[in-house]
Amino acid sequence: MLQHNKLAIFALLAALPLALLVALASGPVSVDLVDAVSQGWYSQSSDAVIFWQLRLPRAILAILVGAALGMGGAAMQGMLRNPLAEPALLGVSSGAALAAVILLYYGAAWKSGWLLPAIAIAGAFGAVAAVWLLAGRGASAGRLVLAGVAINAFLSALIALALNYAPSMFAMQEVVFWLMGSLANRGWDQLLLALPFISVGVICLFLARNYLRALSLGEDTAASLGFHSRIFPLLILFGIASSVGAAVAVAGTIGFVGLVVPHLMRPLVHQDPAQLLWISGAAGALLLLMADILVINFVGAQELRIGAVTAFLGAPFFFWLIVSARRGQWL
Amino acid sequence: MNEVDRKLTVDCESLELTRGLKNVLREINCTFKPSELTAVIGPNGAGKSSLLQCIAGVLTPESGQITFDGEKAHKLPATQRARLGAYLPQSEMPAWSLSGANLVALGLLPWGRPRDRETRVRRAMAMVDAQAFADRPVTELSGGELRRVQLARLLVGQAPLLIADEPTAALDIRHQLQLMQNFRRLADMGKTVILALHDLNLAARFCDRVLLLQEGVLLAGGTPQAVFTPALIGEAYGVSCKFHWRDGIAEFVPLEVL
Repeated sequence: MLQHNKLAIFALLAALPLALLVALASGPVSVDLVDAVSQGWYSQSSDAVIFWQLRLPRAILAILVGAALGMGGAAMQGMLRNPLAEPALLGVSSGAALAAVILLYYGAAWKSGWLLPAIAIAGAFGAVAAVWLLAGRGASAGRLVLAGVAINAFLSALIALALNYAPSMFAMQEVVFWLMGSLANRGWDQLLLALPFISVGVICLFLARNYLRALSLGEDTAASLGFHSRIFPLLILFGIASSVGAAVAVAGTIGFVGLVVPHLMRPLVHQDPAQLLWISGAAGALLLLMADILVINFVGAQELRIGAVTAFLGAPFFFWLIVSARRGQWL
Repeated sequence: MNEVDRKLTVDCESLELTRGLKNVLREINCTFKPSELTAVIGPNGAGKSSLLQCIAGVLTPESGQITFDGEKAHKLPATQRARLGAYLPQSEMPAWSLSGANLVALGLLPWGRPRDRETRVRRAMAMVDAQAFADRPVTELSGGELRRVQLARLLVGQAPLLIADEPTAALDIRHQLQLMQNFRRLADMGKTVILALHDLNLAARFCDRVLLLQEGVLLAGGTPQAVFTPALIGEAYGVSCKFHWRDGIAEFVPLEVL
């Protein structure tokens, strides 16, 4: 069993660079990778520009966003002690989405490459802060979820309202596509904007890892083990708002990664909520990279949105979850 | 200072705690000394768990203070306090299906990742006869088996203060006795042990001191012989009863509801 787990983790980590290579080699134009790399960053040849300015940032962004979503999901499930939790419950995604939608609504999004993600990150922080304030100081996990559901419902209503009164079909289409999530046409601008937020978020979650462990035994026991019940939940909320907020801000809402990945990885780390953070980060990165490879290689009139791909992967997972719960084999 | 050999005296001075509109604890004054096994008894809702949670640092009393060897407990760094006192709540459902050994190892969190972790976990599990559950997922254990794993988690850190809320609930007679013998032995080794108990016979037989709570008030405190009288127990629980004492062992006979 132990060997089996280690092998699976090793395979997962080994698959990541392989997937990265495939992602870099994928695209509508065939590019000589070795040639492009050797020409360097400043080369003006089309191969080098495609590699350095389009494919590389997109692939790295897929890894970063996937890792943030996977890790955020693991932290969320650990904090709420519930395998069905995901970061979207805190309003991170809908907060970012509403901010983005308002910007798209006024057609101001394209004035600069970083304006929309920056506003969206602020939206994510705002939504999480609202959930935290609504739940009250030292709120139990149950009350946090309830507050999250309430804030989410309100934000969704506002998004629906914005769609309802969209100034043009074009604006509406843009909003809808943004909500489906995509990594297309993202470059270094978005990557460099998201990177510090995701890093700060990851550090916060790292600092809270032992709290998540202690929390396996409940809030009372965690408190008796020396984990302050006010500081640590706040650290996790901030970490999720920062990392997942930045991920959603640059890539749009991408569902199910935060839910499915920690679930699948949990048996591999003997259900340890702290190790689950890392392995979920790695697996989330791999999943999103592979989903993006699928998106890039999909031939069709319209671009396939990555949020649609992950939802297609996620929904059957839910079916399987219910069926296995019915058999009494809860993961 | 090494926590393993440390002796700890816990003082509670006029503790007051309200939850909602209810005064859960009123003007509680008591001392818990090393080498003493204290039972906190009283009817449901008397404030036993709240008192234990205040001492364990889970709840903060509104007024009054708790001192560890004269130092204010709430001024201690959280990790330091956790190293001094280990606490097992009345019900503690593990959220994830950890293995027994991994659950026990959580008791070492206040110490980081000590090098002799596995030895300590194994030793603690052996103390409560739980070695067989080391590799089993805790969600597959029976209530009593899980309780023993949780007790090993309480003991693994070798904290000088051990607090357990109804540790004998859900255990069969053999494991109740074994557990109380263990706590007795730990107290004899110098630990300060505080247990909330419902079983008055066990309390009378194993404990040095008994605190009787009723509606948040400390009704009586002293040796089992002093507290276990039909008058006091009758007043606290609202029952008529008899005690037969034989060689320091009490036989408690509840008669009827008053």
